[in-house]
Amino acid sequence: MSENAAQALARMFERMSQVIETEKDRLSELDGAIGDGDHGITMSIGFKAVNAALAKLDLDTATLSEVMSTAAAGFLDAVGASTGPLYSTGFRRAAQALATRSELDLAANRDMLVAISEGIRDRGKAQRGDKTMLDVWLPAAEAATTAVAEGRSKQEFWSAVTAAADNGAAATATMVAAKGRAARLRERSLGHLDPGAVSATALVRAMAETM
Amino acid sequence: MAIKTSSPRKGGIGRVNGPEGVDSIPLRYGDDPYVWACWLYYEDGMTQGEIAEAMGVSRATVNSYLADAREKGIVNISIEPARLASLTIAQELKRHFGLSDCLVVPNDDNTRPLIGRLGAAGAQALAKLVKSGDTLAVAWGRTVLSVGEHLETGPLQDVTVVQATGGTTANFTYTPELTTAAVARAISARCVNITAPAVVASAEMQRMLLAEPLIREQFDTLARANRIVFGISSLRPNSTIHTSGFFESVPLQHYLAKGAAGVLAGRFIDERGRPVDGPLDDRTIGMSLEMLRGIGTRVAVAGGFDKVPALLAALRGGYVNVLVTDAATGAGILRADGVTSLDGKLSQRQKSAPVANAYRTHVKKFLNNPNDVVEEMLDGLIAAHKPYLQPVPGSRRALVARNGPRPGKVGLVIGGGTGHEPCFVGYVGKGLADAVAVGNIFSSPPPDPIAKCAVAASGGAGVLFVYGNYAGDVMNFEMAAELVEEQGIPIRTILTTDDVMSSPVEDKEGRRGVAGNFFVFKVAGAACDRGLTLDECEAITRKANDRTFTVGVALESCSMPQTRRHNFEIGPDDMELGMGIHGEPGVSRERVRTADEIVDTIMDNIFKEMKAEAGDRVAVLVNSFGATPLMELYILFRRVEQRLAAKNITIEANWVGHYCTSLDMAGASISILHLDRQLTDLLHHPCQSAILTINAPEPDEAARN
Repeated sequence: MSENAAQALARMFERMSQVIETEKDRLSELDGAIGDGDHGITMSIGFKAVNAALAKLDLDTATLSEVMSTAAAGFLDAVGASTGPLYSTGFRRAAQALATRSELDLAANRDMLVAISEGIRDRGKAQRGDKTMLDVWLPAAEAATTAVAEGRSKQEFWSAVTAAADNGAAATATMVAAKGRAARLRERSLGHLDPGAVSATALVRAMAETM
Repeated sequence: MAIKTSSPRKGGIGRVNGPEGVDSIPLRYGDDPYVWACWLYYEDGMTQGEIAEAMGVSRATVNSYLADAREKGIVNISIEPARLASLTIAQELKRHFGLSDCLVVPNDDNTRPLIGRLGAAGAQALAKLVKSGDTLAVAWGRTVLSVGEHLETGPLQDVTVVQATGGTTANFTYTPELTTAAVARAISARCVNITAPAVVASAEMQRMLLAEPLIREQFDTLARANRIVFGISSLRPNSTIHTSGFFESVPLQHYLAKGAAGVLAGRFIDERGRPVDGPLDDRTIGMSLEMLRGIGTRVAVAGGFDKVPALLAALRGGYVNVLVTDAATGAGILRADGVTSLDGKLSQRQKSAPVANAYRTHVKKFLNNPNDVVEEMLDGLIAAHKPYLQPVPGSRRALVARNGPRPGKVGLVIGGGTGHEPCFVGYVGKGLADAVAVGNIFSSPPPDPIAKCAVAASGGAGVLFVYGNYAGDVMNFEMAAELVEEQGIPIRTILTTDDVMSSPVEDKEGRRGVAGNFFVFKVAGAACDRGLTLDECEAITRKANDRTFTVGVALESCSMPQTRRHNFEIGPDDMELGMGIHGEPGVSRERVRTADEIVDTIMDNIFKEMKAEAGDRVAVLVNSFGATPLMELYILFRRVEQRLAAKNITIEANWVGHYCTSLDMAGASISILHLDRQLTDLLHHPCQSAILTINAPEPDEAARN
């Protein structure tokens, strides 16, 4: 039996959890330099909870939108912190964006990326250049939008999206944090990558690998 | 020998301090107190006070040793540290980016505006660089205009100053025309303006204008430019680029979306300095990036942390070969580009060998499974504090006071991450908080338990949310408030912001909440217990927060149960001033001083903001971050009491101990609540909780006075 779209989306979250596990210590270390050192742990708890919540869902009948909103609720109930509201709002927006879709084609992936980035932006009231995960999600969503508009192939789409994400994460080292605990450090945050941006690239890469 | 080197520290305080004073000069100083004093001062970086102690002489003697040493030529090079630092940064920028020269303005405590300081420095650089017969292109901008205003050159002949871009609307003072004119006037040069707009309506219009003989002639002059001075604009929301009218906002979004990091002479570059194309390219009249890079001397004048990405982009792209910036921005650029050698060069402290790390890599803790610490703690805590609190049915992360909520009373909900025990659970009980939402370590609880707390605490008169001002807590409590208000329970929120060091006073609302929570919870709990209205409770709680001031100092960072490693290292001789309660770094790293000196620094910072007068009353909290023992807290309290007494301020009540911790962090904070009659009254209102119990007032006040 071939995999349906809901199963594919659930597999994406599984992969996200795996990459976060691999990166967990590095993320906490990055966070230790400019934050409270728990980003890897928080992300790990969050994505484990997402997968636990998805395990209870009947993926044979579930819609894409249901997978997304289940992920949103699972993440939020498990972690709180700042990543909880941010990702759960992003995933909830994605659930709305995917409400009318049943296939995970490039347009659906674009909508998902755009919805996640807008949800995160609206909840956190951050902007590009504030040294946050948005510096990854916004460029990734914009690259996805451009790639779809230009009729790019699937491979080109994801390579543009991951390149934009990676660039965005790298650029956070040159930024002075304007949001979150790192913002108190002012210029002392220069030269450090933002852990939220680094975990965001890991998630984008997990999307690229599974979609 | 005045340039400080990084030799290991030799004479520590107290170690060479004997009763025999200068008679005990260590052998290596050859019986010469001048050399000894100079060594301690210049090489070991000790203060004159520390040296006096080490040598067993008075400070005045040390002072005269140092002064005489200069005269005698024992010390013969001296560079002021701020200038030395800016010189070091300039050298490093020059080396790292292959610049032909670099001028870095020393930091001067921001007593003068940055633009003016940069303008003066840019003028100094230009005065050296511009020669007779030169053609100098000038791009528009605030900083470049300031260069023009400060510029004074020797007699120069046949210099032409040419505008690098077309013109803009004149609703600000630093238009291309005015900037160019200011520079030309200062040099007494011929001034050539570009008499076309910088941005025109269409590509066709641009072609037509550039074909006009007059404008072509102006561009011919521009093409002859052998030097250029320009500013660098960031694309951050506060940048003048958005308000100058130079660009319309819609195309600007296009460039942002394509990764633009900065603007030079009206042209966009990405973070690596590559040109970013967009709809304005063929509508812009002005120097191209290619032309700019072809000019021999390219002087960029810019500073400010917001500009770091843009400056870095311009440097990486090779658009700059003479940089004028300030020391803080210069150091920021280097740090942002991964240059770490600077820290060692700037530091007057010695880096000690990492002996401690080799000895032990993990902190020992009482643990079963590190992933279960919060759950297991809750098991113990719920059992231990049974008389005061119990879980809300259906969630162990929402705990409610047994005798707290009652009909007609405003409910008080507090909460936050764990790792701060006894914050926040210890303050749940009658007369204090009605319910507490419990998160993971240093992480806000999710909205669900917060909403459960609000429902449990509600007595029909509304609910107050009081919690520390952190992005995560704010988002989760806001989401919870939305959920609960849908159920018809009015919510008011007070964010605690007592940490004086976390933001300047102009941004008081942006400060974080730390141990001063204790006072705010106490006052809020009393107001609610008195049966005051939601409005009154909110106003009183806000007042308590406004009048609570905390400063913390950490000696060692904390370690998470999962990693059992310090979040970061505070050097063996250092302390972190303004450290937060999540192990996040503080605002500055300093050498550890005596307990009294540390308290003095803390109290000076508090007095700066607390407008207390003689005869006023305060409440004092000396709080351990976790690892610091009571013995040391009492030593701190001793000095707090002395400083308050010296101002004739009365301590109405005080607490010394573990009230808001940060796991096993070593350090302490001092919180002062500046009382008035109402706050005094509420402070003494009875309450019963696991950590704080106040009985109805009894006449035992005499002991304190």
